[in-house]
Amino acid sequence: MAQHALERLMRKIEGQEWLDRPGHTLEHGYALVQNVLGISQGPVRGLLHGVWFGHPLHPALTDVPIGSWTTALVLDAMGAGKGRRERAGYQRAARRAVGLGVVGALGAAVTGLTDWQYTHDYARRLGLVHGALNAVALGMFGWSWWERSRGRHGRGRLATLLGYPVMALSGYLGGGLTFRHRIGVDQSEQEADRLLQPREFIPVLGVDELREGTPRRVQAGDVGIVLVRSNGRIHALGDTCPHLGGPLSQGWLRDGTIVCPWHGSAFDLETGESRNGPAVAAAPCFQTRVRDGRIEVRRVPPVTTAPPGSAVVHGWRTAEQREISPDRQEPGHKERVPRQREMQR
Amino acid sequence: MKKGTQVLTERKKRDQRVTTPPKTATRVLYEHHGVLRGIMERLSHTSRDDVEQRRALTAELYGEVQMHERIEEDIFYPEIGDIHTDLDAAWSEHRQMTDQLAALLRADPGGARFEEELRVMHDVLEAHAHLDEELEMFPEVERQMDEERLVELGGRLQKRLARLRSSRMLRARHRLERMLLRGPGRLFARGVRRGGRRSVRGGH
Repeated sequence: MAQHALERLMRKIEGQEWLDRPGHTLEHGYALVQNVLGISQGPVRGLLHGVWFGHPLHPALTDVPIGSWTTALVLDAMGAGKGRRERAGYQRAARRAVGLGVVGALGAAVTGLTDWQYTHDYARRLGLVHGALNAVALGMFGWSWWERSRGRHGRGRLATLLGYPVMALSGYLGGGLTFRHRIGVDQSEQEADRLLQPREFIPVLGVDELREGTPRRVQAGDVGIVLVRSNGRIHALGDTCPHLGGPLSQGWLRDGTIVCPWHGSAFDLETGESRNGPAVAAAPCFQTRVRDGRIEVRRVPPVTTAPPGSAVVHGWRTAEQREISPDRQEPGHKERVPRQREMQR
Repeated sequence: MKKGTQVLTERKKRDQRVTTPPKTATRVLYEHHGVLRGIMERLSHTSRDDVEQRRALTAELYGEVQMHERIEEDIFYPEIGDIHTDLDAAWSEHRQMTDQLAALLRADPGGARFEEELRVMHDVLEAHAHLDEELEMFPEVERQMDEERLVELGGRLQKRLARLRSSRMLRARHRLERMLLRGPGRLFARGVRRGGRRSVRGGH
């Protein structure tokens, strides 16, 4: 019964179209702040999304306020009915716990807002309500900490009791963002990753049809792939952005990466790894070679010691490029690819 | 007296020019894409020495892109929500244009970075205007929406665009935003370069 009520609540929130307008206003404001601070192109962006962390940073940070404020609740309950001196110890500990939770919540707020700005419709509305409720909870616990610091522990306890259910409900909605809407979940073509398709090199495009600097979508069996020719080398990544599934082939190149046209996630052309977020997962990476004037691709074989998405060798120079600039060719590069071909047979 | 009437008739003429040709909403937006492309084109023909020209054109581009996003988001997108399903992608692409404009403003107009950012800006603009809107969204809207409604919507878009263009408030706001985006570091770099160039001229 309670389950149904909560799910109905989520559906109701998802249907509130009027939330879009304030949502976009908030995004515009936050965008200006980020651009003025230079965050939107810099390394801080990746830090906030959790690219360095391997999965989104926000859900990990939310454990700090939830844990601390639960601790404060427990300490309040344990301190009740104790003698004066003993109670003072509990009160001090509870105040610290509330304070730590407030600090953690501020971190969760910044990372959460940063993730939220790159979401779409239903998830966006749910995320806005999630954030608003969290702001209310943060206000309550901030008030609680302030009252406790001034020795008014009764009021502090009351604020904690009022704030806790708000935080719990909001946490539930936040869970909905991941489990219903797959925010923060790798949304690249998972099949390509699991089955490592295509296993053998298959031709996908004539080598003359790929222009330098213009990404192009091709199909290798069931797998959508974006081909990029950059500085004469041909790179191939999964076309579906791991963040929300945007078409990378409609994106653009920037500093050795291909950028998703929807939310600006930049993926390294060599390895497929995300450089800045909001995508934290790597784009699937493919090996390329040129045979009989056609570009052929296959999925990079798994390397057990290397992180996922990293390639053994995957950029392969075109024949023309090799003729034009023999001096730029590394000797190791030429030898490694044939060896791999033998290994495959 | 005579002068007064002259001014009046002139104003009337100008009003007529704005309102007479009934344009569909998609036509208005196509044409505004043309305006944006024109500025990009002019920017691409500037050289590194035309720092002032580059800065002026970047400022113009900033204003036009902001106004373009404004009329689409406020008037066009809410009307086509039932026709085009992937509107969120279009909203997101606007955000990418905003971010790239900020990167362009931040780059020194006298350096190679500016040219690189300009190339990316071109790609960002085409990804939104051409690949998404002109190839997918607009034809779909033209197929499904009544001609009459499209024209009515076009009139609203034009009127709003004209109002935004003549708004002094908006211009002041854009100037402030550009200043903030360029940052205090840029102001300093500008002073240094100017000083440097003056000394070069002095040498000649």
